[in-house]
Amino acid sequence: MPHKCTQCGREFKEGSTEILKGCPSCGGKKFFYIKKDDIHKDILEEKSIKKIAEEKKEEIIEIKPEAKEKTEIYDRIESIRVVSPGSYELNIDKLAKGDEMIMQMGTDDKYIVDILSMAKPRKDKKKRK
Amino acid sequence: MSFLIRTKKKFSRVIRALFKKKQMRIGIYGPPNAGKTTLSNRIVRDWTGDAVGPVSEIPHETRRARRKEGVKISDENGNSITIDVVDTPGVTTKIDYKEFLEYGIEQDEAIIRAREATEGVAEAMHWLREDIDGVIYMLDSTQDPFIQVNIMLVGIIESRDLPVIIIANKNDLPDAAPGRIKSAFPQHPVISISGLEGNNVEELYEKMIEYFG
Repeated sequence: MPHKCTQCGREFKEGSTEILKGCPSCGGKKFFYIKKDDIHKDILEEKSIKKIAEEKKEEIIEIKPEAKEKTEIYDRIESIRVVSPGSYELNIDKLAKGDEMIMQMGTDDKYIVDILSMAKPRKDKKKRK
Repeated sequence: MSFLIRTKKKFSRVIRALFKKKQMRIGIYGPPNAGKTTLSNRIVRDWTGDAVGPVSEIPHETRRARRKEGVKISDENGNSITIDVVDTPGVTTKIDYKEFLEYGIEQDEAIIRAREATEGVAEAMHWLREDIDGVIYMLDSTQDPFIQVNIMLVGIIESRDLPVIIIANKNDLPDAAPGRIKSAFPQHPVISISGLEGNNVEELYEKMIEYFG
Protein backbone atom coordinates (compact mmCIF):
# COMPACT_ATOMS: atom_id res chain seq x y z
CA MET A 1 0.00 0.00 0.00
CA PRO A 2 1.22 3.51 -0.71
CA HIS A 3 2.44 5.75 2.08
CA LYS A 4 1.59 9.28 2.97
CA CYS A 5 3.53 11.65 5.16
CA THR A 6 1.48 12.74 8.15
CA GLN A 7 3.22 16.06 8.28
CA CYS A 8 3.08 17.43 4.76
CA GLY A 9 0.83 15.00 2.95
CA ARG A 10 3.34 13.92 0.36
CA GLU A 11 2.54 10.52 -1.06
CA PHE A 12 4.96 7.75 -1.81
CA LYS A 13 4.74 4.60 -3.87
CA GLU A 14 4.35 1.27 -2.22
CA GLY A 15 7.62 0.03 -0.78
CA SER A 16 9.35 3.33 -1.38
CA THR A 17 12.77 3.36 0.25
CA GLU A 18 12.86 7.14 0.29
CA ILE A 19 10.81 7.31 3.45
CA LEU A 20 13.36 5.32 5.44
CA LYS A 21 15.32 8.49 5.98
CA GLY A 22 12.27 10.61 6.63
CA CYS A 23 10.14 12.59 4.23
CA PRO A 24 12.39 14.29 1.66
CA SER A 25 10.05 17.29 1.58
CA CYS A 26 9.56 18.08 5.24
CA GLY A 27 11.72 15.63 7.14
CA GLY A 28 8.70 14.10 8.85
CA LYS A 29 9.21 10.67 10.35
CA LYS A 30 5.61 9.48 10.51
CA PHE A 31 3.78 7.96 7.59
CA PHE A 32 0.53 6.19 7.25
CA TYR A 33 -0.73 3.74 4.70
CA ILE A 34 -3.31 4.93 2.26
CA LYS A 35 -5.50 2.99 -0.06
CA LYS A 36 -4.32 2.79 -3.62
CA ASP A 37 -7.54 4.48 -4.69
CA ASP A 38 -6.91 7.31 -2.30
CA ILE A 39 -3.59 8.25 -3.82
CA HIS A 40 -3.61 11.81 -5.11
CA LYS A 41 -7.08 12.18 -3.63
CA ASP A 42 -6.26 15.43 -1.92
CA ILE A 43 -4.90 16.86 -5.13
CA LEU A 44 -7.72 15.56 -7.30
CA GLU A 45 -10.29 16.99 -4.97
CA GLU A 46 -8.36 20.26 -5.07
CA LYS A 47 -8.26 20.47 -1.36
CA SER A 48 -6.49 23.50 -0.08
CA ILE A 49 -3.78 23.20 2.54
CA LYS A 50 -6.16 24.90 4.92
CA LYS A 51 -8.82 22.27 4.40
CA ILE A 52 -6.41 19.41 4.84
CA ALA A 53 -5.20 21.01 8.04
CA GLU A 54 -8.77 21.34 9.26
CA GLU A 55 -9.46 17.71 8.52
CA LYS A 56 -6.35 16.61 10.31
CA LYS A 57 -7.00 19.12 13.09
CA GLU A 58 -3.44 20.37 12.92
CA GLU A 59 -1.96 23.78 12.65
CA ILE A 60 -0.30 24.88 9.46
CA ILE A 61 3.38 25.11 9.99
CA GLU A 62 5.12 27.21 7.47
CA ILE A 63 8.80 26.69 7.06
CA LYS A 64 10.33 29.81 5.69
CA PRO A 65 13.64 29.50 3.93
CA GLU A 66 16.41 31.20 5.85
CA ALA A 67 16.88 34.74 4.73
CA LYS A 68 20.06 34.98 2.70
CA GLU A 69 22.86 37.04 4.09
CA LYS A 70 22.61 40.30 2.30
CA THR A 71 25.65 42.15 3.57
CA GLU A 72 27.88 42.94 0.69
CA ILE A 73 31.53 42.31 1.31
CA TYR A 74 32.15 46.04 1.28
CA ASP A 75 29.67 46.73 4.05
CA ARG A 76 31.17 44.27 6.42
CA ILE A 77 33.17 45.14 9.45
CA GLU A 78 36.14 42.85 8.88
CA SER A 79 39.11 43.49 6.63
CA ILE A 80 39.79 39.84 5.99
CA ARG A 81 37.55 36.86 6.47
CA VAL A 82 39.18 33.48 6.78
CA VAL A 83 36.44 31.25 5.39
CA SER A 84 38.56 28.15 5.87
CA PRO A 85 42.31 27.53 5.80
CA GLY A 86 43.48 28.70 2.41
CA SER A 87 40.24 30.44 1.53
CA TYR A 88 39.93 34.15 2.14
CA GLU A 89 37.59 37.01 1.46
CA LEU A 90 39.16 40.43 1.35
CA ASN A 91 37.49 43.73 1.96
CA ILE A 92 39.67 45.95 -0.18
CA ASP A 93 37.86 49.09 0.84
CA LYS A 94 38.68 48.46 4.50
CA LEU A 95 42.23 47.54 3.60
CA ALA A 96 42.62 50.75 1.62
CA LYS A 97 41.36 52.90 4.46
CA GLY A 98 43.76 51.88 7.15
CA ASP A 99 46.00 49.40 8.84
CA GLU A 100 43.33 48.43 11.33
CA MET A 101 42.85 44.73 11.07
CA ILE A 102 39.71 42.90 11.96
CA MET A 103 39.62 39.30 10.90
CA GLN A 104 36.63 37.06 10.88
CA MET A 105 37.20 33.38 11.40
CA GLY A 106 34.85 31.10 9.52
CA THR A 107 31.35 32.18 8.73
CA ASP A 108 30.27 32.48 12.36
CA ASP A 109 30.51 35.79 14.09
CA LYS A 110 33.93 35.10 15.45
CA TYR A 111 36.38 37.92 15.13
CA ILE A 112 39.99 38.62 15.84
CA VAL A 113 40.66 42.26 16.48
CA ASP A 114 44.24 43.43 16.12
CA ILE A 115 44.32 46.19 18.71
CA LEU A 116 47.97 47.01 18.06
CA SER A 117 47.17 47.95 14.49
CA MET A 118 44.52 50.36 15.70
CA ALA A 119 46.65 52.06 18.31
CA LYS A 120 49.16 53.37 15.81
CA PRO A 121 49.17 57.14 15.63
CA ARG A 122 47.67 58.53 12.49
CA LYS A 123 50.27 60.08 10.29
CA ASP A 124 49.90 63.70 9.45
CA LYS A 125 49.21 63.20 5.81
CA LYS A 126 49.83 65.98 3.42
CA LYS A 127 47.64 65.91 0.44
CA ARG A 128 49.61 65.16 -2.66
CA LYS A 129 48.97 66.95 -5.85
CA MET B 1 58.58 40.50 9.24
CA SER B 2 56.33 43.48 8.62
CA PHE B 3 58.21 45.30 11.35
CA LEU B 4 61.39 44.87 9.33
CA ILE B 5 59.72 46.10 6.17
CA ARG B 6 58.33 49.10 7.95
CA THR B 7 61.67 49.94 9.50
CA LYS B 8 63.31 49.60 6.13
CA LYS B 9 60.70 51.83 4.59
CA LYS B 10 61.13 54.46 7.27
CA PHE B 11 64.86 54.37 6.69
CA SER B 12 64.55 54.79 2.99
CA ARG B 13 62.10 57.61 3.54
CA VAL B 14 64.61 59.41 5.77
CA ILE B 15 67.36 58.88 3.23
CA ARG B 16 65.12 60.13 0.46
CA ALA B 17 64.23 63.19 2.47
CA LEU B 18 67.91 63.86 3.05
CA PHE B 19 68.76 63.76 -0.62
CA LYS B 20 65.54 65.50 -1.58
CA LYS B 21 65.14 63.26 -4.55
CA LYS B 22 61.54 63.34 -5.53
CA GLN B 23 60.52 60.59 -7.84
CA MET B 24 57.06 59.69 -8.89
CA ARG B 25 56.22 56.27 -7.63
CA ILE B 26 53.94 54.55 -10.08
CA GLY B 27 51.99 51.55 -8.88
CA ILE B 28 50.81 48.99 -11.38
CA TYR B 29 47.49 47.76 -10.07
CA GLY B 30 44.76 45.49 -11.34
CA PRO B 31 43.06 42.14 -10.90
CA PRO B 32 45.10 38.91 -10.94
CA ASN B 33 46.40 37.75 -14.32
CA ALA B 34 45.88 41.09 -16.04
CA GLY B 35 49.57 41.22 -17.02
CA LYS B 36 50.93 43.59 -14.40
CA THR B 37 54.28 41.86 -14.02
CA THR B 38 54.61 41.37 -17.78
CA LEU B 39 54.19 45.11 -18.29
CA SER B 40 56.48 46.00 -15.37
CA ASN B 41 59.12 43.74 -16.84
CA ARG B 42 58.70 45.38 -20.22
CA ILE B 43 58.95 48.92 -18.87
CA VAL B 44 61.94 48.08 -16.73
CA ARG B 45 63.65 46.06 -19.49
CA ASP B 46 63.03 48.73 -22.11
CA TRP B 47 64.56 51.47 -20.02
CA THR B 48 67.08 49.80 -17.70
CA GLY B 49 67.67 46.29 -19.07
CA ASP B 50 66.60 44.58 -15.84
CA ALA B 51 63.51 42.60 -14.94
CA VAL B 52 61.10 42.89 -12.04
CA GLY B 53 59.82 39.41 -11.43
CA PRO B 54 58.67 36.10 -12.85
CA VAL B 55 55.34 35.72 -14.64
CA SER B 56 53.03 32.74 -14.96
CA GLU B 57 49.54 31.90 -16.07
CA ILE B 58 48.60 30.84 -12.55
CA PRO B 59 46.84 33.68 -10.76
CA HIS B 60 48.65 35.37 -7.87
CA GLU B 61 52.15 34.70 -9.17
CA THR B 62 53.18 38.04 -7.70
CA ARG B 63 52.49 37.93 -3.99
CA ARG B 64 54.79 40.67 -2.80
CA ALA B 65 54.98 44.16 -4.21
CA ARG B 66 58.19 44.56 -6.19
CA ARG B 67 59.86 47.83 -6.88
CA LYS B 68 62.33 49.11 -9.40
CA GLU B 69 63.67 52.53 -8.65
CA GLY B 70 64.85 55.25 -10.94
CA VAL B 71 63.43 54.13 -14.26
CA LYS B 72 63.92 56.95 -16.73
CA ILE B 73 61.43 57.10 -19.57
CA SER B 74 61.96 59.55 -22.40
CA ASP B 75 60.38 60.38 -25.74
CA GLU B 76 61.73 61.62 -29.07
CA ASN B 77 61.19 65.25 -28.16
CA GLY B 78 63.55 64.97 -25.22
CA ASN B 79 60.84 64.96 -22.56
CA SER B 80 61.43 62.48 -19.80
CA ILE B 81 60.34 61.36 -16.36
CA THR B 82 62.09 59.27 -13.79
CA ILE B 83 59.80 56.97 -11.89
CA ASP B 84 59.85 54.10 -9.46
CA VAL B 85 57.88 51.21 -10.87
CA VAL B 86 55.95 49.24 -8.27
CA ASP B 87 54.56 45.93 -9.42
CA THR B 88 51.78 44.88 -7.05
CA PRO B 89 49.99 41.61 -6.37
CA GLY B 90 46.64 41.24 -8.11
CA VAL B 91 43.80 42.73 -6.12
CA THR B 92 40.74 40.59 -5.63
CA THR B 93 38.08 40.07 -3.00
CA LYS B 94 38.17 36.29 -2.87
CA ILE B 95 41.15 34.01 -2.71
CA ASP B 96 40.59 30.28 -2.50
CA TYR B 97 43.39 27.76 -2.62
CA LYS B 98 41.14 25.40 -4.62
CA GLU B 99 41.53 27.54 -7.73
CA PHE B 100 45.27 26.80 -7.71
CA LEU B 101 44.70 23.06 -7.59
CA GLU B 102 43.45 23.22 -11.18
CA TYR B 103 46.92 24.30 -12.22
CA GLY B 104 48.43 21.18 -10.74
CA ILE B 105 49.68 22.76 -7.53
CA GLU B 106 49.68 20.47 -4.49
CA GLN B 107 47.17 21.26 -1.77
CA ASP B 108 49.73 22.28 0.88
CA GLU B 109 51.45 24.59 -1.54
CA ALA B 110 48.14 26.01 -2.77
CA ILE B 111 47.10 26.88 0.79
CA ILE B 112 50.41 28.67 1.35
CA ARG B 113 49.98 30.45 -1.98
CA ALA B 114 46.50 31.62 -0.97
CA ARG B 115 47.81 32.93 2.33
CA GLU B 116 50.66 34.78 0.67
CA ALA B 117 48.29 36.20 -1.94
CA THR B 118 46.04 37.49 0.85
CA GLU B 119 49.01 39.17 2.50
CA GLY B 120 49.95 40.52 -0.90
CA VAL B 121 46.58 42.21 -1.42
CA ALA B 122 46.78 43.78 2.04
CA GLU B 123 50.27 44.98 1.19
CA ALA B 124 49.20 46.38 -2.18
CA MET B 125 46.41 48.34 -0.49
CA HIS B 126 48.87 49.56 2.11
CA TRP B 127 51.17 50.86 -0.63
CA LEU B 128 48.28 52.58 -2.32
CA ARG B 129 47.59 54.44 0.87
CA GLU B 130 51.06 55.62 1.65
CA ASP B 131 53.58 55.47 -1.10
CA ILE B 132 52.04 55.68 -4.52
CA ASP B 133 51.92 58.90 -6.55
CA GLY B 134 50.30 57.58 -9.69
CA VAL B 135 48.61 54.42 -10.88
CA ILE B 136 48.67 52.33 -14.00
CA TYR B 137 45.53 50.23 -13.80
CA MET B 138 45.84 47.05 -15.83
CA LEU B 139 42.88 45.23 -17.26
CA ASP B 140 42.70 42.13 -19.40
CA SER B 141 40.69 43.31 -22.40
CA THR B 142 39.36 39.81 -23.02
CA GLN B 143 37.58 39.98 -19.67
CA ASP B 144 34.56 41.90 -18.46
CA PRO B 145 35.80 45.19 -16.98
CA PHE B 146 32.60 45.77 -15.01
CA ILE B 147 33.53 43.53 -12.11
CA GLN B 148 33.15 45.01 -8.68
CA VAL B 149 36.83 44.93 -7.81
CA ASN B 150 37.67 47.20 -10.74
CA ILE B 151 34.95 49.72 -10.02
CA MET B 152 35.84 49.65 -6.35
CA LEU B 153 39.58 49.96 -6.77
CA VAL B 154 39.39 52.69 -9.40
CA GLY B 155 37.02 54.48 -7.01
CA ILE B 156 39.55 54.18 -4.19
CA ILE B 157 42.32 55.50 -6.46
CA GLU B 158 40.11 58.43 -7.53
CA SER B 159 39.26 59.23 -3.93
CA ARG B 160 42.98 59.68 -3.29
CA ASP B 161 43.33 62.09 -6.21
CA LEU B 162 45.96 59.93 -7.84
CA PRO B 163 46.46 60.24 -11.59
CA VAL B 164 45.53 56.98 -13.27
CA ILE B 165 46.12 55.55 -16.73
CA ILE B 166 44.00 52.55 -17.58
CA ILE B 167 45.46 49.87 -19.78
CA ALA B 168 43.45 47.50 -21.91
CA ASN B 169 46.04 44.76 -22.05
CA LYS B 170 46.35 41.65 -24.21
CA ASN B 171 45.23 43.37 -27.42
CA ASP B 172 47.11 40.65 -29.32
CA LEU B 173 44.38 38.15 -28.45
CA PRO B 174 41.52 37.69 -30.94
CA ASP B 175 38.72 38.24 -28.41
CA ALA B 176 40.21 41.40 -26.96
CA ALA B 177 37.65 44.17 -26.61
CA PRO B 178 39.41 47.37 -25.50
CA GLY B 179 36.31 49.39 -26.44
CA ARG B 180 34.48 47.85 -23.54
CA ILE B 181 37.13 49.14 -21.14
CA LYS B 182 37.02 52.59 -22.71
CA SER B 183 33.30 52.79 -22.16
CA ALA B 184 33.67 51.49 -18.60
CA PHE B 185 36.12 54.20 -17.57
CA PRO B 186 35.46 57.27 -19.74
CA GLN B 187 36.90 59.57 -17.07
CA HIS B 188 40.44 58.25 -17.51
CA PRO B 189 42.80 57.81 -20.43
CA VAL B 190 42.62 54.23 -21.72
CA ILE B 191 45.45 52.77 -23.79
CA SER B 192 45.19 49.47 -25.57
CA ILE B 193 48.46 47.53 -25.58
CA SER B 194 49.96 44.08 -25.48
CA GLY B 195 52.50 43.89 -22.69
CA LEU B 196 53.62 40.54 -23.99
CA GLU B 197 54.08 41.48 -27.65
CA GLY B 198 54.93 45.11 -27.04
CA ASN B 199 52.12 46.45 -29.25
CA ASN B 200 51.53 50.14 -28.76
CA VAL B 201 53.71 50.52 -25.65
CA GLU B 202 55.23 53.68 -27.15
CA GLU B 203 51.86 55.37 -26.81
CA LEU B 204 51.80 54.31 -23.18
CA TYR B 205 55.27 55.78 -22.57
CA GLU B 206 54.22 59.08 -24.15
CA LYS B 207 51.09 59.15 -22.07
CA MET B 208 53.08 58.40 -18.91
CA ILE B 209 55.43 61.31 -19.60
CA GLU B 210 52.48 63.59 -20.27
CA TYR B 211 50.34 62.39 -17.41
CA PHE B 212 52.79 61.65 -14.60
CA GLY B 213 55.42 64.21 -15.56
